[in-house]
Parts: sequence; structure tokens; C-alpha cells
Amino acid sequence: MTEFFAYAVMALPELLQGTVVTLKLTAGALVIGLAIGLPLSLLRVYGPKLIQPVCSAYLTVFRGTPLLVQLFVVYYGLPEIGVSFSRMAAAFITLGCNSGAYQCEYFRGAIQAVSGGQMQAARGIGMSRFQGIRHIILPQALRLVIPAWSNELIAMVKYTAIVFLIAVPDLMNKAKILSSQNFTPIQTYILVALIYLVLVGFLSLILHGIQKKLAVPGLDAGMDGR
Amino acid sequence: MTRSLLRIENLCKSFGATPVVTDVSFDVNPSEVIVIIGSSGTGKSTLLQCLNLLHTPTSGKIFLEDQEITAPGVNQDLVRRQMGMVFQEFNLFNHLTVLGNVAIGMTKVLGMPAKNAEKKALNELTRVGLADHWHKYPAQLSGGQKQRVGIARALGMGPKVMLFDEPTSALDPELTGEVLVVMQKLAAEGMTMIIVSHEMGFARDAADRVIFMENGRIEEQGPPDRIFTHPASERTREFLSIITTGNTDQATGKASPDRP
Amino acid sequence: MLQFLLPGLGVTVSVTLIALGLGGCIGALMAVFRVYGNPVVKGLAVSYSVVIRAVPVVVIIFILFFVISAFIDLSPFMSGAIALGFASGAYQTEIFRGAILSVPRGQMTAARGIGMSRTKAIRCIIMPQAFRVAIPSLINEVTLVLKDSSLVFVIGVPELMRRAQYASASTMEPLLAFGTAACFYILLTLTLSKLLETVEKRFAIQF
Repeated sequence: MTEFFAYAVMALPELLQGTVVTLKLTAGALVIGLAIGLPLSLLRVYGPKLIQPVCSAYLTVFRGTPLLVQLFVVYYGLPEIGVSFSRMAAAFITLGCNSGAYQCEYFRGAIQAVSGGQMQAARGIGMSRFQGIRHIILPQALRLVIPAWSNELIAMVKYTAIVFLIAVPDLMNKAKILSSQNFTPIQTYILVALIYLVLVGFLSLILHGIQKKLAVPGLDAGMDGR
Repeated sequence: MTRSLLRIENLCKSFGATPVVTDVSFDVNPSEVIVIIGSSGTGKSTLLQCLNLLHTPTSGKIFLEDQEITAPGVNQDLVRRQMGMVFQEFNLFNHLTVLGNVAIGMTKVLGMPAKNAEKKALNELTRVGLADHWHKYPAQLSGGQKQRVGIARALGMGPKVMLFDEPTSALDPELTGEVLVVMQKLAAEGMTMIIVSHEMGFARDAADRVIFMENGRIEEQGPPDRIFTHPASERTREFLSIITTGNTDQATGKASPDRP
Repeated sequence: MLQFLLPGLGVTVSVTLIALGLGGCIGALMAVFRVYGNPVVKGLAVSYSVVIRAVPVVVIIFILFFVISAFIDLSPFMSGAIALGFASGAYQTEIFRGAILSVPRGQMTAARGIGMSRTKAIRCIIMPQAFRVAIPSLINEVTLVLKDSSLVFVIGVPELMRRAQYASASTMEPLLAFGTAACFYILLTLTLSKLLETVEKRFAIQF
């Protein structure tokens, strides 16, 4: 046991450096995902019929294939046709596009959960469709989506783990290096697991608190996410 | 300048192959209160929602103060600012306070500055007797209060005509009174109102004209005294007798067995 | 290209199925512990579920692989499948837990009323109904495990991803290699979903 602690003390600084990168990746991916997912969801719900196959294709690709495959296609495959990305860029792009697909579906669910009567009432007082979406539907949908979005945030922390396979210097990468240098795979990865546990636990608590603060009496957050 | 405020000519509405409103024509005069009655599924609500273009009529014309609002190229949003609609299910904006619900149309659609909108909104709320509740959210209100807020919200836009789509049907019996009182007050103030309702008492007391619809057509129309005591059509007589013999299914508008 | 990737398909599907089966057994058991168990087993189940779901699947695969290797000599395939199953079990615990909780309380009351023991009631009355309720979420889990199966490539299992990497190195055509692998995954997820949806229709019950 003391051996483990000694190792932990030695390994922690390096691992924490990697953790910072992990967190940066998480934040970046979520922001990119939001920038893609929200507009895409609006297109899906309110957009013209012609564009729907394009949206569906995007969703099928990013939700129907493993994140790992997407990462390798972006980082190893695209250079073949002349599109090259740095490791970090490839990681951000892949994680972002992937998250965008999932966020699109969460937003779409929330938008559709806002009852049709709300749009009718908005139009009844003379709002245009656009105004109705902006002032009535979206404010409610954004509150409904919070639980699912919180899940996505927490899940993203875990998804970033795979980028070590393209040598991005995140937590997993540092762990791999340390474990092979010191022949201590089990201890290292258990440490890693503990760090993730702390991260996830901490984030869950914060998000729970935010959720409570943002609740509007009567607006039920009845959405579930994975 | 013709006399009528609203003129409906040969209005038809079908959903797919199913006709719901067939060849409806009538005029509405300023300050007139019209109550539309009839059993469920006869197209009353659909007719109302065609009037403010929430549904696009399949054929026919509607004129609001001589402007044909069913003409192609008409800005429907502008038209809807002139007509207020009150819904059976209230449809209050859940994320806004009572004050916010009434004010949002004024600020976002009419472009009023926020302070003015809030003042006007409070006036409308006072008109419906809910000024004290301005800070509450819809979920914290009773059904009758919600509907009154709905009325205030519609009034806030300064409409020329108010459309009521079964305003009390979703309310518990003891709550309908407060809404009907507000509606009677509006009528006394000279608001032009078209009301789809099952409240025969209200129709008898407040309506200038009663229209009886059956199978998507106007079966008969006239002053409430005449319609209720000496209906000309057989069907009207049938409908009214079911109502007055206390058959609750008909009175609360549940679908008759032979209708889908 | 196909010659490289096709054998990987079989491995991917096998790993997925074994992991799902293992995960299902663990999940169902842990869910019962969480809902009906005494404080000790309940605590065990909760810890398992919370901890495993907080950690990336890759990490779990690594840890279990090295732990298992320290004691027994198992092929990467088996270690990978077991690790995946262990991880999936945590998510399936939550799925089954939700499903059990949605079975009306009256069912257990009625079962006890005809003299069944708690265990028997759980086994014969609650779980069959819970299972049917759980089917849509389980279908979702199938897709997720299928995609996570790509992760066992890190411990050398010759499934689709590893084959694709090998193909990419051999043919110097990474886009084609990984792109084809991606198409296979899409095909797999779509067929599995459709298949399971028909199963769902057959078994679904409404409360």
C-alpha cells in the first residue's frame, strides 16, 4: 500500500499535466459540438425537407461509427487527400463533430418536447416563426435539455481518453508513458481511474447545483440522456 | 367603407381528403359578440383558427376591414397582431412570468420599450383582475387564472377582434365563472368577439348572434333569443334538446359515438 | 481491402456479443441488488455502478487486462471481451434498475399475496416484465458496446479496428482502410438496430 502511495506521489505531477490537456479537450469539444449541434437541431425540426437527408447522413456517420474510427479517419486518412491536421486539431475536430451529432439529438428532443401549443400562442400574438423559435421555444427547450447536456459534458471527459492513440499528450498518454517507463501498468491506470473518478464526481456536483439554480417552477426537466 | 369588421366568404378547409369546414360565409360587425355552438368535430375550432390564418383555408376569402387577408403575399404575422386568440389549453409561455407573458408580444412584436410594455401589461392584468399575480409563473396559477392571463396577453396586442377557442372547456366547473365574467366585461366594453363555446348560459346572456354549426357548415344563425326558443332547423332543435335534457357528453363536447 | 477487414467483422461481433451477455448478467444482478438488496449488497452495487461509469472504458480495459494477465493466461480476445462486459455491466445496471422501478408496485404485492417468496417473485414476475421495459434502452446499449468494441484494439485483439490499421499500413491507403471500417460499423449498427427493433415489437408490453 505504501508502495502505491509512493508511486502515486511520484506520478501525480505528470498525470495532472495530462489532466489539464484532457480538460481543455473536453471544453473545446463541447463548444464545437454546441456550435454544430444546436443549429443542426433547428434545421432538423424547422428546416426544409430537402436538407433532411444531409442532416441524417451526418448523424448516421458520427453516431453509427466508433469515435476511434472517426479519429483515425481524420488524423490518418484525410492527409491522403491532402487535408492534414495536427494531433490536437484532429482531436478537437473529431470530438467536436462527434459531440455535435449527439447534442443535435438532445436539442431536437428538447425542442420537440416543448408543446406545439406554445408556437401556436406565439403566432397568435403575431410573432413570426423565427421570433417564436427565438423567444418562446428555445428558452424552454434550453432548460429542458440541461440534464441530457450535463450527461454529455461528463461523458465527454471520458471520450477524450482515446486521443492518446494519436499521441495527444493527455492524461492517458502520460499514463501510458509512465507505466511503460516504470513497468507499473496496474498502479498507473488505477491512479488514472481515480483521477477520472474525482473529475466526474466534481463535475456532477457542480452541474447538479447549476441545474437546481436554473429550474423554473413548472418547467419539468423530463429528459433523459446517456 | 363597408359596415362589417370581418367578412368571411365561402370558407372551406380540408385536411388531406377530409373536409372539415365547408362553404362557411358570415359577416361580423364592430362590437358584435358571436357565439358559435355545435357538437364536437363539427369544425368550429378549425374555423376559428382559419380566421387568424393559423390554418390556411383551402378555399374561400376572409376580409378584415376590407383588406383580403387570404390573398397571396399578405403578411400573416401583421394580420395576427390585429386579432387576439385565446386557447382552450391556455398555451401560456411557461418560462415567463405572468407579466412577461403579457409583455412579450408588446416588446418583441410591437417593438415597445420594456418600461412602457410592463406598464401596459399591468393595465391589462388589472383588467382581468390578476395584477397581484404579475410575478408568478404559469405553473403556480389555477386554470381560471391561467386563462385570464391568456386573455390579457391577447388584449395586450390591441386587437380589433378577439377569438376565443373553447376558453372554458379545459376548466373545472367552479373556475369557469371567473373567465366568463371577464369575457362579459369585454363584451360590455364593446370588443368584437367570436367565441366557440359550450357555455349556453353565456351565449344566451352575452351574445348578439349565435351560429350553430353542423358537419362543417353553418346550419343556422340568429339572435340567441330566437335560436334558443324557436330554432328554424331540425338539427338545431335536436342539438339544443340534447343540451337542455342534461346529456353531459354533448354539453362538454365529447365526441359523439358515430364520429371518429 | 475487404480481405483484410472481413475477418475482423467476426471478431468484432463476437466480442460485442460476449460483452453484452456478460454485462447483462452483471447488470441484472446488480440492479436487483440495488433495488431489493440489504445495505451491504446495495452499497456494493452502487459503488460498482458509479465508479465504473465514471471511468473511461479504455482505462477499464487496460486495468482488467493487466490484472487478469497477472493471474491467468487469457487471450487478448477473452480479456477484452471480459473487460468490455464488466464495463457494460455498470450501464446495464442502471438500465435494469430503471426498468425494475417502472414495474408497478402492485405486481410484487400480488406475487407475495399468492404466497411467493421475494426471490421467486423477483425471478418470475418482476424481472420478465422489467426486461421487456428495458428493451429499447438495451438496444441502445448494443450499439454502444459495438462501438466500444473498437477499443479492445489497444490490447491487440484482431477485431475490425486493428485490421483496419494493419490494412492501412500495408496498403498505404489509410482513408480507404478506415473509411471502409467505418462503413462496416454503420452497417453493423443499422442491421443490429433493425433486428432488435423487430424483437422489441414482438415482446413489448404496455402498462
